[in-house]
Amino acid sequence: MNKKINLDLAWYSIKKNGILFVFILLCIFLSIITPGFLSWANILNILRQSSIIGIMAIGTTFVIIGAGFDISVGSLLALTAAMCVGLQQYIHWGFAILLVLIVGALVGMLNGFLAAKIHIPAIIATLGTMTIVRGLVYLYTGGYPLYVDSPSFAFIGNGYLGLIPFPVIVLIVMVIFWQFILIRTRFGRYTCALGGNKEAVRLSGVKVDFYHILTFVVGGLMAAMAGVVYASRLLSVTPLAGQGYELDAIASTVIGGTSVSGGEGSVVRTLVGVLLLNIIANVFNLLGIHIYVQYVIKGAIILSAVGFDTYSKFRR
Amino acid sequence: MNKKIEEPILRVSKLNKSFPGVKALDNIDLEIYPDEVHALVGENGAGKSTLIKLLVGVYQKDSGTIYFNNQKVDFDSPAQAFQKGISVIYQENSLIPQLTVIQNVFLGTEYFIPFGLIDEKKIYQEYLNISKKLGFELPPHKEVRNLGVAEQKLVEILKALIHKVKFIIMDEPTASLSENEIEHLFRIISELKSNHVSVLYITHILEEVFRIAERITVLRDGKKINTVFTKEVNRNEVITMMVGESLKDAYISESTAMKGKQPVLKVENLSRKPRVNGVSFEAFPGEVFGITGLTGAGKTELTRLIFGADKLEGGLILIDNKPVRIRSPLDAVKNRISLIPEDRKKDALILILELYKNITLPSLTEFSSQGVLLIRKEFDTTKYFIKKLDIKTSGVKQVVKYLSGGNQQKVAISKWLQTEPKVLIMDEPTQGIDVKAKVEIYTIVRNLAKSGVCVIFVSSEVSEVVKVSDRILVLSQGRISGEFKYGVSQEEIMGTILKEDK
Repeated sequence: MNKKINLDLAWYSIKKNGILFVFILLCIFLSIITPGFLSWANILNILRQSSIIGIMAIGTTFVIIGAGFDISVGSLLALTAAMCVGLQQYIHWGFAILLVLIVGALVGMLNGFLAAKIHIPAIIATLGTMTIVRGLVYLYTGGYPLYVDSPSFAFIGNGYLGLIPFPVIVLIVMVIFWQFILIRTRFGRYTCALGGNKEAVRLSGVKVDFYHILTFVVGGLMAAMAGVVYASRLLSVTPLAGQGYELDAIASTVIGGTSVSGGEGSVVRTLVGVLLLNIIANVFNLLGIHIYVQYVIKGAIILSAVGFDTYSKFRR
Repeated sequence: MNKKIEEPILRVSKLNKSFPGVKALDNIDLEIYPDEVHALVGENGAGKSTLIKLLVGVYQKDSGTIYFNNQKVDFDSPAQAFQKGISVIYQENSLIPQLTVIQNVFLGTEYFIPFGLIDEKKIYQEYLNISKKLGFELPPHKEVRNLGVAEQKLVEILKALIHKVKFIIMDEPTASLSENEIEHLFRIISELKSNHVSVLYITHILEEVFRIAERITVLRDGKKINTVFTKEVNRNEVITMMVGESLKDAYISESTAMKGKQPVLKVENLSRKPRVNGVSFEAFPGEVFGITGLTGAGKTELTRLIFGADKLEGGLILIDNKPVRIRSPLDAVKNRISLIPEDRKKDALILILELYKNITLPSLTEFSSQGVLLIRKEFDTTKYFIKKLDIKTSGVKQVVKYLSGGNQQKVAISKWLQTEPKVLIMDEPTQGIDVKAKVEIYTIVRNLAKSGVCVIFVSSEVSEVVKVSDRILVLSQGRISGEFKYGVSQEEIMGTILKEDK
């Protein structure tokens, strides 16, 4: 009996931290086979490339831990990035950022409302808002790319603080902040709890719908923040921006070991998931492997990560 | 009654089954003859469902033998039992609601013509034949979800017959049927008999047993008490067999409740159709208020109404003689009412989370300042409850999924004790836990009452209700059908429960 429990606990900790082992092993392996891999420039490059998806995936992590799903964040990134660029004609970029963060949170709230109150399955609810928001992007941009020319705004996506690119700093600060929210605050606890068993949380006298909606608000907010970094990095936004980003964010989250059935997960491990996907892409580029092959490999990684989680749950 | 000459269709000998801490079935022998309707009766927890589950292979037996049609059998699954000719009709039905009657009935035995097409004509013909023979009048092309509960039950029986089943087990088939529907079911059962199908009929309701069964087997505490011919016994004799000697080990030294006190909880005319129809009672601080009745009598629904888990359709709830509005569990918690629900895995616990996260969930505000959690304090409180309620666990971070049923129940209790409720409602708190843990729960319940909490102890196990309660309410079909004080015998309550039903 005790042995069984120990085994279960061992299994549990492997499941929780397995992704870290894989990540470290992969880094060691890659630094041996590709000489340029561990160079400072390459590391910064990987981190910077990870920043936009990474920021977005923080929100995705909250939504998935709450047993939800959000595929509207790619479109939302496009809308907020486009607005962030477009609004600078009229207002200072500081206010533009504030405004698009509010827009992100509001769209998140709508997603949460549809899922928690109207009881539309989250993936369908956000499929609807994804389509609507993409439509709004076309309406807002008129179908053409928008440009902005503002060196101070460009700093967010391109500047450096010391040796470190500013978007990387944004990413790291956000990961630390939201990891703290997740494990050390009441909201974070309720998020895990309602993802594990919403009815039990309701019967514990908690305003579950409120917290359920709040997870989607975090999702929208972080998509908007990713939109700001995106706009600043490229200083232009096409109506097609951010397509498929939601899938990368979801992939990173589940590769990071967040349970697809909700209740368990970690923002830090999601970051590891984001880095893992980017490192693989990076190395394939260094080795000159074609992008088409990369898609195949990426898909296989997602399936193994999620399969590991779901099969081990089924096994009991 | 010269059935004894024939070979039994089902013969069970020396069947044993244990679960951790409980002997669920103890050396059971049972013989069922062709064309016989045999009733299996006993209180909740007597072992009826375990026996059925062993017969059809849901559980595997520890020892003993089962002969079916003179062959030794050992089913791996109900599907295998079904193929060999044993069908079980459960309380909940197992049909596919979107398919029509005929599609359900022939599911798995469709006749095929070439290219894998279904031979609709032949199926329809066969359907008509069998329906006619047995007096079924079901609309073959109606979707099952549009049928009433009773008709659905008949579809299941018809499905069993099409599969040439010779032995049907019915588990409380009348639980959700109306009087007319029951009559129809009984007509079908007597038709079955004349078509050489045997029925094992599990029920609480003795009136039904005396109407349709030829013999009765009584189980109590996992043991077979006796098998008797219905004609040779009366109702009271069967009740006595079911409950046995009243247990004398009292948990109550003196009943201190009610003496000159105000009721802490008073409900007036609570209603939510169809399960709760105008229930009124008063419960006092420091007492254990027992509520009992059959499965489906409305006990769980009543607790959910008081706790705000379901919407109240009518009636009034008063706390300390002041009317309160309870529209959600949150309102109930604010009024210091707590509910430990019947289905603890589904409604009470978050199985994938750690012990301490479960225990502090309803009172998390106390464990945080400015929204930031005080995890050290959570650990301390959890350790306190581990010690106080003797929860067997490897520590505060143990994931609740890996605890035993009894220990999970203690976690659910701790969770609510932390909120210091005035009224603690426990719905079937000892369901599915072993004997030792049950006794521990009774002790916890009594100690809580002693400390001034009003405990509402809801259970369909009459034996435990009479043991721990100061006062007892009997519910039947959503109404109060009797009220008793501590010291009442189990037989008396069983009599009230069984009389009121139908």
